[in-house]
Parts: sequence; structure tokens; C-alpha cells
Amino acid sequence: MTIYLDYAATTPVDPAVATTLADAMANPAMLANPSAGHAAGRDSERHVAHAADQLGALLQCAPSQIVWTSGATEADNLALLGGARYRARRGRHLVTMPTEHKAVTDTCRQLERDGYSVTWLTPDASGRVDLAELEASLREDTQLVSIMHVNNETGVTQDIETIGSLCRARDILFHVDAAQSVGKLPLDFADSTIDLLSLSAHKMYGPKGIGALVVADRPGCHVEPILYGGGQQGGRRPGTLPVPLIVAFGKAAQLATTHMAADLERTRELRDRLWQGIADLDGVTLNGDAEAHYPGILNVGVDGVEGESLLLALDPVCVATGSACNSRDREPSRVLRSMGRSDTEAQSAIRFSFGRFTRDDDIDEAVARYRDAVTRLRALAPAA
Amino acid sequence: MSRDPYNTEVRQRFAAPAFAGRADTASRGRGQGVDIEFSASCDDQRIASMRFRAYGCPHTIAACDLACEQLEGQPLAALASFSSDGLMRTLSVPVEKTGRILVLEDALRDLNSRLESP
Repeated sequence: MTIYLDYAATTPVDPAVATTLADAMANPAMLANPSAGHAAGRDSERHVAHAADQLGALLQCAPSQIVWTSGATEADNLALLGGARYRARRGRHLVTMPTEHKAVTDTCRQLERDGYSVTWLTPDASGRVDLAELEASLREDTQLVSIMHVNNETGVTQDIETIGSLCRARDILFHVDAAQSVGKLPLDFADSTIDLLSLSAHKMYGPKGIGALVVADRPGCHVEPILYGGGQQGGRRPGTLPVPLIVAFGKAAQLATTHMAADLERTRELRDRLWQGIADLDGVTLNGDAEAHYPGILNVGVDGVEGESLLLALDPVCVATGSACNSRDREPSRVLRSMGRSDTEAQSAIRFSFGRFTRDDDIDEAVARYRDAVTRLRALAPAA
Repeated sequence: MSRDPYNTEVRQRFAAPAFAGRADTASRGRGQGVDIEFSASCDDQRIASMRFRAYGCPHTIAACDLACEQLEGQPLAALASFSSDGLMRTLSVPVEKTGRILVLEDALRDLNSRLESP
């Protein structure tokens, strides 16, 4: 029996979402291509519009601002490639951090190869951006800043309102990868200074394969398409819309709107229970910021224990040593290395992440196994 | 094709390494992210008892355990001639971890030197 504490990689699908998805797959009213002009197409279009309303209610954005994508990775690509290309005649400088998700860092590397200049801001030891350094990095030709809301490895939150204000004052596009925060932390897009917001359904109890980029309505804020092959979604993202997935995403958004406060309070309790259970172990450290963080992600380092062995010793507790995208290459986390951790420190780090369906018993079992694993592996190691 | 990076032999030896511990004479090898200590007690040029301690990945720990099992009861000279090729195959050690297994080999050779020149 596995104990799933890897919510940051993907959350379980809420049973109500699963039911919605199954019903949608079988519903003749959602069969047609929503771009088709016939009656069946209009039926599908109405269901997509309803889902957009549900997501809009969660984010406080207009349905017309939502561009459906395959997930947050595509949304990040669309924001960065599409935003940079739209602004290319004004300038070719971007600002980001090495602690961003690879969907952002790899895309920025591609833009560098395409002739753009990127400033990589170094985080402090807790993973937060230095706002003075960020402000100093902004140039006449800076067109886009990309800083995530909640870090996927550490749970550290960034001050996106202040960063957005710095950008807005200079007419710089501000992109936020909010895959780890949407549906979990309050976020009011209309009242924010965010221009481009990436999100994914499968990080908020929805299905895999659907996400969105939210694009602000203001002059100069636009993305060029990065895919070609149809005029759907105002030409911003072609392809037939996956109606059942979108409908299920809408249901996940509706549930998030309803449950967010209770989920967040419950997640804080779980986080405290976990941290209190292991914090007294000798050599255990918290990777991240004790205050500015989303409580559903807890990244813990430990002296004298090798990370890969720790991961196996924790089995069947399912946790991560880094982001899921990187966990098979066994390289020390680049996020933790960017925060100043040594290779050895980064290698020992374990990310626990949890949420709506995690039970106290799951946390207690994880605590017991973590303590046992650390003790056993330390006893197995040669004396220092 | 299985995505499990560990075969049954690795999982069993990692979970319950029978040869973990310390014997009389020890040597140590470090590098490639591992720290390995082998120790042995000898009886008339034979390895009477072979033990290890290790900081490293599950393959490293399993390889140390298997090496001890294979060497216990053997003549001392087996330490110097020990080849890790068999370990690599039995434990399905990924090629990118070869360097760690070579650290193991070096530690065994060093142990042999210590035992032959006390």
C-alpha cells in the first residue's frame, strides 16, 4: 500500500472531477468540435464556456482571457516564446531565475540561442528573489520577467505583487508560473499586476493533459502563437479543444473555489505535523523559507545520508528528490544548488508534498519511516 | 521494460545487508559520491570474516554486501584480483555508476595491501 506524498508532481484526481470527466466523455452534448458551427458544436461550445466561467471565478479573470493549453509546460512556452516574439521589435532582454521550473529555464535557454539576452537572478539562501537585484536588472530593452509564484521543489513563495508592480511601471510583461499555487492559494488576477499566468489542471485535482495561459487585457500584452494549424482561441493556440478535459478542469476549479480555505488550513496542519515529527533529528534542515512558503510542500535535507538510498528506504512512501521531471537523472537539484546548497546537501533533500486527500496516518507513517531510514543509513555509513 | 532501477537482488541486499559491520583491519575508498569501508579478519591467509560500511546509493550498498559474501572464506589474494564485472551484471548496475564500483575495487585492493603488510 503506497503512501502518496508527491502532490507537487501531480495531485490525485478529485472523485467529483473524475465523475465529471467520465460523464463528459459519454455525453453526446460534448461530442462535437466546439469550433463547428452546427447545433452539436454549439452545445460543446457552451460547455467550454461554462468551464471558462468556473476557472474565471477561481482566478478572477474574464473567460476571454483564458487560452486553453495541454498543461503548464505549454503555457510557459507560449508565454515566454510568444511574449518575447511579440515584443521582439521593442527589445530582446528577459529576466528570470535558475530556480524556475524547467519549462521556463529551458525555454529561456532556447531564447538565448535565438539571440535574446537573459538575466538569471540568484536567489537568496531561502530561495527568494532579491527585489533590489531584480529592479537593478531591468533595462530599457527588458520585455519580459518570469518569476514563479510557488516553487515546485521548496514551496517558497515570491512577492509577485511587488515584482509585478516593478514590471508594470516599466511596461514589461510579467509572467507567473502558478502551477503550484492556483487553487491552493488566493490569487486575484484582475486585481494583480500579472500579465501572463500559467496553470495546469493536474496540480489542482484535475486531469492531466489540460492547462491554461491567462493573458491580461492591456495594450502591449499579447503572445504570438507558437503552434500553427488553425484559428482556434483567437489564433493564439490552434487545435481542437478537448471538451471533456476542459469541463473536468472547470469542475476542479469550482471545487478549488469552494474548498480552498479549508484545504489550506488542513495543509498547514499536515505540514506542522510532519515537520514536528522530524525536526528534532540531528542534522535535519529545512530547504526553503520558514515564512514565505506554501505549506503543502516541505523540502528537508539531512546530513550524512545519501538521497537515493533515503528515497528507496522510505518506500512505500512516495516522495521526490527533486521535481518529478528531474528525479530519474539523479543529479543534485539545480534549485537547491542555486540556493547555495552543496552537492551533498542537495542530494540528500527529500520533497514531501501533500494536500486534500492526505490523512494524519499518512504523515505519521512517513515520519516513522523517515526517522528509521535516517537512523539505519547513518549506522551503515563509515565513521566521519 | 521495467522502470524500476533496482532488481530484486539490490532491493534485498539494500533492505537487509548481511555483511554490514566492522572486522579487524579496514580500508577505505572515497569518490564518485560514495564512501566505502571494507574490513576483514584473517585466519592463516584466508578471509575469515569480511564486513563493510558504506555511504552511497542502493547499488553501492548492495555491491559491497555481495562483494563481502563472495570474498568471505577466500584466500587473501582474492582481494587483489577481485573483478567487479560479476557484481555489475548480478546487480544490473547502470553504466553511469561504474565509477562507484571502481571505488569499491580500489578499496578491496587497498585492504589487501594492508593485510599483507600489517
